[in-house]
Amino acid sequence: MIRHLPTMDELDERIRSLTAARAGFRPEGDWARVSPEAEGGCGVTGFACTIPVGGKHIYEPSIQMRNRGNGKGGGIAACGLVPQDMGVSRQILDEDYILQIALLDPKVKGEVEKKFIEPFFEIHAAMLVDTVDDHRDVELLEVRPPDIARYFVRVKNDVLDRFAKEKHLAILDRRELEDEFVFQNSIALNGEFYASLGEKRAFVVSHARNLIIMKVVGFAEACVQYYKMADTRAHVWIAHQRYPTRGRVWHPGGAHPFIGMNEALVHNGDFANYHSVCEYLAQRNLFPQFLTDTEVSIFLFDLLHRTYNYPLEYIIEAIAPTTELDFDRLPDARRAVYGQIQNAHIHAAPDGPWFFIIARSLVERGAFQLLGITDTAMLRPQVFALQEGKDVSIALVCSEKQAIDATLASLASEDARFTPVADMYWNARGGSHSDGGAFLMTVEPTDGPAVVPAAGRRYELKVTNKFGQSVSTPPGQVHCDLSAAPKAVANSNGDESAIRGLIESGNAGAFFGYLRDHVPEMSFDRLRRFVDRLADEAVAGAPAAGIEALTLCMDRRYPSGDKKRSSVLTILRTGVEKIFSAQPLWDAAGNGHAFARATWDVRGSLRGPQGQETSLLIDARRFQPEGPDCDATLAVKAYQLGWRHMIHYNSRGTRFHGAGYGAGTTGLRIDCYDNPGDYLASGMDGLEIVVHGNAQDQLCQIAKSGRCIIHGDVGQTFLYGAKGGEIYVLGNAAGRPMINAVGRPRVVINGTALDFLAESFMAGDPLAGGGFAIVNGLHCQADGKVVPLELPYPGSNLLSLASGGAIYVRDPHKTLVTEQLNGAIFRKLSAADWKLIHPYLLENERLFGIDVERDLLTVDGVRREPAQVYTKVMPPSNEDPEVEDELEGLGG
Amino acid sequence: MTIAPNTTSPQSPEDFVAEPGFAAVSRETRVAPPRYRNEIGKFVVPRPDACGQCGRCGAHGVHVRPWRYNLIIRPFEYRCIGPDCKTSGRYCVGACPNKALSVTLNPVFETIGDFRWTPDLIVSTWKMAETGQLPPSFLESETGNSGGGFDRLRFRFPAAPPKDLRREDISTKLLLNRRDDGREKVTIDVPWYGGGMSFGSTNIHALLAKVRAGKAWNTFSCTGEGGYPQRFIPYADHMIVQVATGLFGVREETIQRAKIVEFKYAQGAKPGLGGHLLGSKNTPSVAAMRETVPGVSLFSPFPFHSVYSVEDHKKHLDWIAHVNPRALLSAKVSTPTDVDMVAVGAYYAGAHIVHTDGSYGGTGAAPNVAKKNIAMPIEYGIGKVHQFLVNEGVRDKVTLIASGGVRTPADIAKAIALGADGIVTGTAELVAIGCIRCTACESGRGCARGIATTDTELLELVTIDWATQRLVNLYSAWREGLIDILYRLGLDSVSALRGRTDLLMHLDYEGSDGAA
Repeated sequence: MIRHLPTMDELDERIRSLTAARAGFRPEGDWARVSPEAEGGCGVTGFACTIPVGGKHIYEPSIQMRNRGNGKGGGIAACGLVPQDMGVSRQILDEDYILQIALLDPKVKGEVEKKFIEPFFEIHAAMLVDTVDDHRDVELLEVRPPDIARYFVRVKNDVLDRFAKEKHLAILDRRELEDEFVFQNSIALNGEFYASLGEKRAFVVSHARNLIIMKVVGFAEACVQYYKMADTRAHVWIAHQRYPTRGRVWHPGGAHPFIGMNEALVHNGDFANYHSVCEYLAQRNLFPQFLTDTEVSIFLFDLLHRTYNYPLEYIIEAIAPTTELDFDRLPDARRAVYGQIQNAHIHAAPDGPWFFIIARSLVERGAFQLLGITDTAMLRPQVFALQEGKDVSIALVCSEKQAIDATLASLASEDARFTPVADMYWNARGGSHSDGGAFLMTVEPTDGPAVVPAAGRRYELKVTNKFGQSVSTPPGQVHCDLSAAPKAVANSNGDESAIRGLIESGNAGAFFGYLRDHVPEMSFDRLRRFVDRLADEAVAGAPAAGIEALTLCMDRRYPSGDKKRSSVLTILRTGVEKIFSAQPLWDAAGNGHAFARATWDVRGSLRGPQGQETSLLIDARRFQPEGPDCDATLAVKAYQLGWRHMIHYNSRGTRFHGAGYGAGTTGLRIDCYDNPGDYLASGMDGLEIVVHGNAQDQLCQIAKSGRCIIHGDVGQTFLYGAKGGEIYVLGNAAGRPMINAVGRPRVVINGTALDFLAESFMAGDPLAGGGFAIVNGLHCQADGKVVPLELPYPGSNLLSLASGGAIYVRDPHKTLVTEQLNGAIFRKLSAADWKLIHPYLLENERLFGIDVERDLLTVDGVRREPAQVYTKVMPPSNEDPEVEDELEGLGG
Repeated sequence: MTIAPNTTSPQSPEDFVAEPGFAAVSRETRVAPPRYRNEIGKFVVPRPDACGQCGRCGAHGVHVRPWRYNLIIRPFEYRCIGPDCKTSGRYCVGACPNKALSVTLNPVFETIGDFRWTPDLIVSTWKMAETGQLPPSFLESETGNSGGGFDRLRFRFPAAPPKDLRREDISTKLLLNRRDDGREKVTIDVPWYGGGMSFGSTNIHALLAKVRAGKAWNTFSCTGEGGYPQRFIPYADHMIVQVATGLFGVREETIQRAKIVEFKYAQGAKPGLGGHLLGSKNTPSVAAMRETVPGVSLFSPFPFHSVYSVEDHKKHLDWIAHVNPRALLSAKVSTPTDVDMVAVGAYYAGAHIVHTDGSYGGTGAAPNVAKKNIAMPIEYGIGKVHQFLVNEGVRDKVTLIASGGVRTPADIAKAIALGADGIVTGTAELVAIGCIRCTACESGRGCARGIATTDTELLELVTIDWATQRLVNLYSAWREGLIDILYRLGLDSVSALRGRTDLLMHLDYEGSDGAA
């Protein structure tokens, strides 16, 4: 139903009456002095899909993020459920509240029902949620989860009438009133049965419509197993791995997700201003019962949503305000509104690191929504992804990319309409004018919210940023159904001679040229056959050439015609896998091959290279993400035994690749496929490492020398404290790259950086051997086109407080302004500067195909001089007289 | 034998190769007199013209007439023990036939130090560093004058120690690795190690002396965050490598060299701030070590940009463990109100040592408002963390180290009785090599004693051998003092004292009966 827009008076009355109606919530005692439960960050994941999928698909990504939790709290929420899975009719599922109560004390059920359920609710269905017999059968589930009593309920009419009258809530419509009753009843129930400081016997886990929450003292995936939800289907799933600091936890009350009204929230981070936000909420009669900042977050969201009645964009603005230069860059109308919102709610805006994923049941529209919001400073990791198919579409958000890929792999293994790689991956820029730091992934019924839908209602997925701007993949392209064998296609002489040429000459570049030119016209069947044939020939004759050629085809962007790039990539990767898996295991003796292959099962057969062997393939499956059983640890041992080329593949977030080799590693090369994890190349000193795809956080920390090449984006705190090295990034660097770097790191970022690029950079004078970064501000599109971004560097704090080094920004339209600096200055690019950076741009051209003349120096079709295209940002000059004086006093 | 103030010192690893003896150190105590003829002492003994040069004023080496001299030279006043001397029978004032001599309190003495580090504590630390013995009784050498904390805590000593306890059987050893994880069970001979001071903050000679004393006493010193000068390499087994928020000089090879890696998350003297090295101390050699621009102030960020949560912290520890799987990991944190949670989080993330640094700790440079005003005093922090770890059932899996205002053997014993396993010392070491607590550490040429400086001329005020001996002596005296306390309490080891708050009393709540 569509309500008329409220007038200011109506809004005012709504806020006053709802606040007054909650006056009874104030707990006794000095609630403000109670400290929150300590917990740190965590792992969060979620996805929204046009078809309902089983809980088993949240299982895999949860496992991927185990090392972001400690097994002392995990939870999931499912939204957009299926009537038969829940054992109720469509009408009940659509209209009823699903009240779920955790019975910490199994004897309390009758008492709870008598006091808080039977008097107020019409119960249309009631059940104890089915569980496995013995929780110890579930891996790593040490504490028996509570029994969950589930009730499908509506509030009795007379109860509601009385409630409206007693609480003076005439301003609310009937459904809003019912929502408020359910909400207040849960708070009262928790107040009685779950005293934060006293006895804990029962609490409300969730009470939403068409949305349920489950949580355990264990890892999130244990919810799926213990409560037997592997085949329970839903459109939206979110999960959370918690990391409470306290060791002994006996019940999951503090685990995420937390329930608002019809939304569930998971949170990764830690507020610095928990008490301030609590105070703000207390002034509006909302008081924390579980003492976590997550609970406070969802209270805040619900307050802004139901009490203030804000549209989602304004809710996001109140929680994550647009600041600094980004605020100035908002359109006038928006700036006026945002200014008012900030004036009213800034004390409630969570400060510090946080990232929210929210699942919402948009009951009135029959829609379901997934929401990811990052804090203004982007202090927590976050990745978004989208796959748009003919039949199904899915949007995902997660702390780490490998969890996204694990979700897709899990789905694709069961349903060929999914592919294991997303069509696009991106990061949000917190508090920004460009995307608002938030993305909305909404699953809407295509035929509108019919009252009782016919079976098989169809849904579509819409992804927008905070401002409503749509995110979508290139139109007119399709995925490949990889579950079906490729159909026979006519032999192509061109294809065959390209393969033969590669095998004979080893010229990967020529092969790539052929594939790039012919992919647009190829059918999936032909492409699959082509790649498969190449893999076969390579296995037989030239595995190294085959790997190099297919990898080059994966690394580069080029038009793919009517085929989705994600499918092309999957096909190429399948070919690479075929070559990899044909190589002999390293426990096979005396083989005379160039490659040896290590897997989890044969990891104990560690040995140095023999005979012709040059390269060690390490299949990362089943290796741990860190510690002695990490494949990166195995690689270091292999290096000590003489291996000088490692290829890590099938990585799912395993960390520390390229780290731990020690000083002086020139001559070592490492290739990383799939999803290498955090801290890659941290501390590298001489080696060369290539990431064939996106990389994650903390890359190249304290790197000393060597080369790191990333055919994709990199995550946060890239090059923190680095001392040197040559680094090339095809895409973007997320927040805070190069902070505190010293020495002589030399970096080319072809995309942009989100914020705080090279803060406190101390890398001397680049013209005298010091360090620098080049920011090209370009986007390499999936079709190979290289287009300038709207702004080459949209953030602030560029080279802030730096004392050395320089940033060369490709900014032909002079968009950079002094407000983006904090102490640094702009200088015209000199001939010496160009002489310095030109070789790096040429190397960049060689690596990524970004042509210096065509893509960098040509602006709007006109060839420009380097000084017209690049701007130098540098610290205040060393010739500054003040600094000179200080230097004189040093005496040595 | 005494240590000459100037001997040649090794300068580079090559020197050590040529002269392996350079790296050799001994824990033998030897007299290491002050570097200045007229060191500040508690008393002044003016010698007026009325002096008859009779030479009867001979006690304690104050009045000296060198061989073949006719006149008694200017008194070595810093050696004077004051009115306590009256009972010695050699009291110069009493012995003077002309009644020419007098002993009065030295007005300069009263100007040094502060309430926490009183002049008595400074001079008694000097005495220990000079002699290796416990300080003389005319100095108040156990407590300062802060009116709180360790200065108001006293031990309840039993009337007499048990008869079967022998001083030589008392153990001061401390186990640093309590996890059964295959890493070395590192044990140190005294329950303390030297705190992190960076190359840049402190004279390299002082830093070398610290680690040499650490080697002599089989304990540790710490690099701070200014990098790892080559000259430390011969002592690598006794040098903790610090990973701090600026990551200056942190490299894989330095991490791989260490037996212990310390993560400096925060410092008690300035929580919420990273390290501060002001421009005037960032000399070319310091800048070269940190690979920065000379003359520019270096502010380390706060916190680690890669660590905003406990799972980031675990990943951070995992990283260092990947680079050096043998190293013990220590997490140095300050004392916020939730220090107990921070500590247990550090333990679960894999730390072997949880090091809490309280508000009285030292810092060369930080805004005055930050110093001493933010963190909790360490004596509160220790109890809170200890009790929490006990309740969690993990107390015996982790070593709890306290620092921030530990000045004397009595302070060490009190910290341990409150629940720490051991302590970290920093300021006391600098006092031992002559620091007068003038708090001008941040200024490049401001250190009157040549300690907190990187100035090439001032560096020579401290020599390595002399400073090493001063610290070896201090450690020796401290150990004696600690054994004294344990003996009087009837305990046969430091570990038996841990958490024995029943042996402590607070003067604000109890009388001074039985007090130490």
